Amino acid sequence: MRRDLTAAAQALRIGAGQGLAGWTVLAGRCLFYVLIMTVLSALWDKVAAEPVAGAIPLPKGDLVLYVLATEWITLALPSVHLRFEDDIRSGGLEPHLLRPKFYLLQSLAQSLGGTLVRLAALGVTAVAWLAATGRAGPPPAAYPYLAVLGVLAVTVGMLLYATAGLCAFWARRILPFQLVIQKLMFLLGGLFAPISLYPDWLRKIGEVTPFAAHLYWAGIQALHPSGTMFLKAAAWQVLWIALLSLLCVALWRAGLAKVLREGGV
Amino acid sequence: MSAVITVKSLSKAYRYARRRGGFFEAFSPEHVIVEAVAGVDFEIGAGERVAIIGPNGAGKSTTLKMLSGILEPSSGEASVLGLTPWKQRKALAYKIGVVFGQRSQLWGELPARESFALLRHIYDQEAAPFAKRLGELTERFALADLLDQPVHRMSLGQRMRCEITASLLHGPNLLFLDEPTIGLDVTAKAAIRDFIREHARDHGQTVLLTSHDTRDIELVCDRVIVVNQGRIVVDQPTDQLRRRFLGRKIITFQSAGQGVSLDLPGVTRRASEAHATILEVDTRLTRVEQVIAAALADGGIEDVTIEDPPMEEVIAEIYASTHAA
Repeated sequence: MRRDLTAAAQALRIGAGQGLAGWTVLAGRCLFYVLIMTVLSALWDKVAAEPVAGAIPLPKGDLVLYVLATEWITLALPSVHLRFEDDIRSGGLEPHLLRPKFYLLQSLAQSLGGTLVRLAALGVTAVAWLAATGRAGPPPAAYPYLAVLGVLAVTVGMLLYATAGLCAFWARRILPFQLVIQKLMFLLGGLFAPISLYPDWLRKIGEVTPFAAHLYWAGIQALHPSGTMFLKAAAWQVLWIALLSLLCVALWRAGLAKVLREGGV
Repeated sequence: MSAVITVKSLSKAYRYARRRGGFFEAFSPEHVIVEAVAGVDFEIGAGERVAIIGPNGAGKSTTLKMLSGILEPSSGEASVLGLTPWKQRKALAYKIGVVFGQRSQLWGELPARESFALLRHIYDQEAAPFAKRLGELTERFALADLLDQPVHRMSLGQRMRCEITASLLHGPNLLFLDEPTIGLDVTAKAAIRDFIREHARDHGQTVLLTSHDTRDIELVCDRVIVVNQGRIVVDQPTDQLRRRFLGRKIITFQSAGQGVSLDLPGVTRRASEAHATILEVDTRLTRVEQVIAAALADGGIEDVTIEDPPMEEVIAEIYASTHAA
């Protein structure tokens, strides 16, 4: 087990190195972040300035900070599902199966390495964007909470996409699974607005989904940081990381059994 | 000589769904069973270099996959270094090296050095012996200038040198090579063959190789197993096989005028095209250079190509001779 983790740590380090080596792509991602935040902040500023009579009341605080946090997480996510699809459908899995270490763990660790680099770079971009626009940032207490919840949030997101990628063992294309997960992240995760805006019954459902663990719980800390909420958010995220990890392992085992039996997919 | 690989009645059948025409038939596809490997038996001793050859679909790669543990057989038994491959895949992985000519085991976007470093951790290798082995292989394969280059930017020959290096870094006792020279130019093929042969000889390593290229077999292996339609047709030393079947060359002469006409022992003319004369030469009776010298003396030659007979022909000949016997 210790040796498996050492190999995974090495894969994570290499993933981080790859993320840094591709600095031009990383810079492009940061510029895109600035662009969409400019658009979304203009939208939310207008909504806040001109409330419509009878409309649902918005949560207190600057909603731009919420979107800044959720977009920070979304843009840091890796394309691990595409990697799995490519390896599984092209037969590229074979060399990995000839190794004594767990392909799934190695691949996820490598993807997480690159994700952490992107998370850091986008985080710096967010702070720079706030400073450049003269907008007040989240309360100081929010930053350490966001740092922890951000890492947990991208892990949840990566595992969600990993489940889509592992469907390649059975499906010719994983795009439909990817799109379903992506839309649910937007809707139940609350990408553009907190799910607290939804009717109570839908909010309650949304809060217990992995999609909220991916976006909402971290986003809301940018608005109203609190120790209690932080612990609740982290607990949901850790729970979903555990459950999604089990799901990924189950999918992997079933898919691997198919490959070993049939010699491919 | 102790057996490194023992195979008994090993079989693998694949089941495919074949679509039939018509709307309703699409919901009830016909299932077809194809027997890729049909009850093969053989043993390979320590230090042997063995080639499995055969036409496309003969069952070579399927056999190799079962012996390396990434494919479960339909029936039969196999023991590789004392392990059952498909049941003890991870334990076996520490003891074998595998190269697939058409698949890369390296991380394309990483420099080779990073891939090798990751492989050290994947195979739980201590730093010092690993560095020593990497140093030796780097020197032997002249990789020093390639180590910091991303693998996807390398030529096929450079990549294959790195692939073989990667497969040897954990010091395996047994090397599986599936079409290791496919797509390489003549120089790169020669370098790979020399290396495999010398490394195996110096380290007492057992090699099991599949290839379409008869030169891979002649220059690397001391024993050949010929398979066709999932069955072993011939299992004999390379020397014997060479004498029987591999002593032929196909020489094509391109000429501006009339075709080449030679009267030499063991030289027969094949169906030829305009301005191209195709000769089959039995090299036991007349050497290739003699044929070329005679053709040049005849005059009008613009180009010459020398090839081995297609593997399918060799197999067909072997198959025909074994059936006749």
